[in-house]
Amino acid sequence: MKRIILVLIALIILVAVLVVVLVNKPSLVTPSTTPPSKIVVYAYNDRITGIDPSIEDDTGLVVLGSIYETLTYYDYKTGEVKPRLATNWTSSEDGREWIFRLRNDVVFHDGSLFNATAVKLSIERARDIYRSSGRGAGYIWDALEEVEIVDPYTVKFKLSYPQRVDILASAAYASYIFSPSAIVKSNAANYTDRKLEDWFNGGNAVGTGPYRLVSYDPMREIKLEKFNDWWGWRYINSEKAPDIVVIKIETDPSAQYSGLLSGELDIASSVPRETISNLKKQGFGIIPLPTYHNFVLFYNTKRYPTNITDFRLAIAHAVDLNRVVSEAVLGMGSVASGVLPHGFPGHIEGLTYEFNLDKAREYLKRSGVSTPIKIELLYQIDYEETKKFAAIFKTLMSELGVDVELNGQDWARLKDIARGVWENPEETPHLIVADWWPTIPSPYDYLYAMFHSESKEWNYAGYENPVFDELITKAWEMEGVNYTGALELYKEAQLTLYQNAIALGLWDEIRPFVYSQRVYVPEEALNPMYTFVIRFELVEVRS
Amino acid sequence: MPVSLNYIFKRVLLSILVVIGVIVFSYILLLYTPGDPAVKWAGNPRGPEARKAIEIARRELGLDQPIHVQIAQFIYHVFTGNLGLSIAYKVPVSQVITSGFTATLELLIFTYLLAVPLGLWLGIYSALRRGSRFDSFIQSLSVVLASTPTFWLGAIIALISYSTTGFLPYGRVSYKLATSTGFNPITGFYLLDALIQGNYAVFLDALLRIIPPALAISVYPIGVVARVSRTLVAEALLEDYVRSAVAWGVRRNTIIKHFVLKSIIPPVIQISGLAFVYSIVDAMVVESLVFGREGLGSILLDSLHKADFRVTIALAIYLTIFYISVNTIVDIIQASIDPRVKI
Repeated sequence: MKRIILVLIALIILVAVLVVVLVNKPSLVTPSTTPPSKIVVYAYNDRITGIDPSIEDDTGLVVLGSIYETLTYYDYKTGEVKPRLATNWTSSEDGREWIFRLRNDVVFHDGSLFNATAVKLSIERARDIYRSSGRGAGYIWDALEEVEIVDPYTVKFKLSYPQRVDILASAAYASYIFSPSAIVKSNAANYTDRKLEDWFNGGNAVGTGPYRLVSYDPMREIKLEKFNDWWGWRYINSEKAPDIVVIKIETDPSAQYSGLLSGELDIASSVPRETISNLKKQGFGIIPLPTYHNFVLFYNTKRYPTNITDFRLAIAHAVDLNRVVSEAVLGMGSVASGVLPHGFPGHIEGLTYEFNLDKAREYLKRSGVSTPIKIELLYQIDYEETKKFAAIFKTLMSELGVDVELNGQDWARLKDIARGVWENPEETPHLIVADWWPTIPSPYDYLYAMFHSESKEWNYAGYENPVFDELITKAWEMEGVNYTGALELYKEAQLTLYQNAIALGLWDEIRPFVYSQRVYVPEEALNPMYTFVIRFELVEVRS
Repeated sequence: MPVSLNYIFKRVLLSILVVIGVIVFSYILLLYTPGDPAVKWAGNPRGPEARKAIEIARRELGLDQPIHVQIAQFIYHVFTGNLGLSIAYKVPVSQVITSGFTATLELLIFTYLLAVPLGLWLGIYSALRRGSRFDSFIQSLSVVLASTPTFWLGAIIALISYSTTGFLPYGRVSYKLATSTGFNPITGFYLLDALIQGNYAVFLDALLRIIPPALAISVYPIGVVARVSRTLVAEALLEDYVRSAVAWGVRRNTIIKHFVLKSIIPPVIQISGLAFVYSIVDAMVVESLVFGREGLGSILLDSLHKADFRVTIALAIYLTIFYISVNTIVDIIQASIDPRVKI
């Protein structure tokens, strides 16, 4: 009898192990064979939503930014567009034709050569997938008629209306160049075939970046390996750069803090803000990066009483943004001026409403809204700072006799409720706190998505103003021929929003990136345009 | 043969019906949870054609169909082995769940390999000293253990571990150690994988990290098994065959080993099996919320948060099959070792 039991148990274990081995196929692209000497573990705070270089428009950026490259690179400090895979470029006078000369010394991670065909394929794929399905950030290529191959290392962008293609080519999404060999490897019939998308998202990549993808588990970790044939190593000291980078998904800020202390993590993107001073004392390096991630309070302009401009202005003047930044964000933010973040192209100072309760009461009186009155605030509970803001806001509004009912939701639910402003404004909260970060370094990115009357997925104010729509559309088309003039139009559009108090810019996030003494992360390794992407080629491993 | 074909047929049929029931119930329930899966499937579109993208995604997911058609399609896909891609991560659903499932299962198996023998030993030892202080202590302890909240105990264990040794048992293995030693998971059971690869450094590290959560989860099975085995042994010791053996002068150890233990093993296996499937809930809570280990707990939370209904329902199916399988295995083992049991 004993023998039967033992055999049965052994069989069960064997079958279980075999099943697991067969089912649990590792998503390795290429298994690493040699143990590396310099490993850097970077804690990122969200799971990866995909790594298709033409379609991904979300958290996949943290991976794409290291394994792929764009033709140009946006330097946030100078506001200039710099060469990357393109060496130089020129545009026609009408801004409808742009010629880019490409580097001729670049190879993809699989050894295939980078050339004009890859550029045409990559850019047109992003555009075409967007046109056919609305997915991805390919909308930035709306004006693109064709990428013409002039010679193997020269491409011509032909546009239907003027655009700053050098800026578009530096975008955080939809501008990455991948190898045409990906189509063959994925058995796709053409570049829009779903097989190619599934192949990329299944954990495959053929980029030109300084690191190549080794393994991909979107829920746990992504391993990258130094690509020794990267063209840029000739200009950067590669000796100290990490051999292996592990992007560890760590959604819990406290765990990131613990990971730094225990030495498990080298770089963390999201430690609790209250731990920063302690980490600094213990010798950790801190880079407080001013980001383009900003928080905005939208007024439901289709529902009483937030449909009254004076009432909106009353609220705007009753919000003490310095207190909000100090208490809700613990100083890791700057008081917003308008809806474009500091340092972003087109940002203008002087669009902060003065905190003045007398003025607020004056506007309230002028609005004809009698108090006490109850209004509802919808905010995101995924962010600690928006939760704190909601509590502060409620207290501040009580000074005006406005009772704020707090409605905290996770992001998915918030979006569901907030977009109801178009179909069912009376059931949609009066105030909605939302956040944004850009795809391209253009004011159009923020102004279109959040305030254009056709942007019904993200315009939570329900704002409809043909004059405003016309202004930003004109500015967008003018960017290619008269950039300064376009910025003037964007300024005018922002003033319209400010004067009518359509939304209240709250704060622009300052994100503290923390690194251990084992590594050195220079400031140039971070760029708010490519949030969370670390240029690991510039990181030095000290021990 | 202790297991009849009729039994197996009935079990399989029952399993199919239960899985269908779980799918229907979960699907309807998820309709009322926040979040639009179509938005996620479309990749949170931000462009002017965002609405178009969401509508196309809705069609692709079949969410534009009547609810009964959606459910029927889902059931069809489950039974044809095609759960599709995760809505949030665009990788196969089975890949998302399997890696978490092996992580949780490893923790549970490790826990029970420790807990059941320990609980059994405590119960037998206590019964043999019936009425003593030790017996009273074990009886009280088993009640306390069985009713201790595991997430609370887990937090205490983590705190003690960190404050006394400076070691925070977070995650399943040190990423740096695993990467630098070329550790490559094969089965998903890290302890086993490390042994297969002869990577003793990773084995030791994984062992150190699995012990604290296993301790937290083990209190329930230790308490239950100790209590049940104590009662069973105490009762067995009063049986006629035991008293006869004593009268015949058979040695005490022989009586316990050959008569008493033999009689209590089947019910102990049964109760351990039930506790095992119950403990998966404990494991899901403790592993993700206290010890930051990947596993089913974090997958479930995340799938609900991201409106990834495919993963949520698939997880429910996996758990259902797990429950049925464990219970079936327990029945088979019981029938194999107890001639009175016929199934």
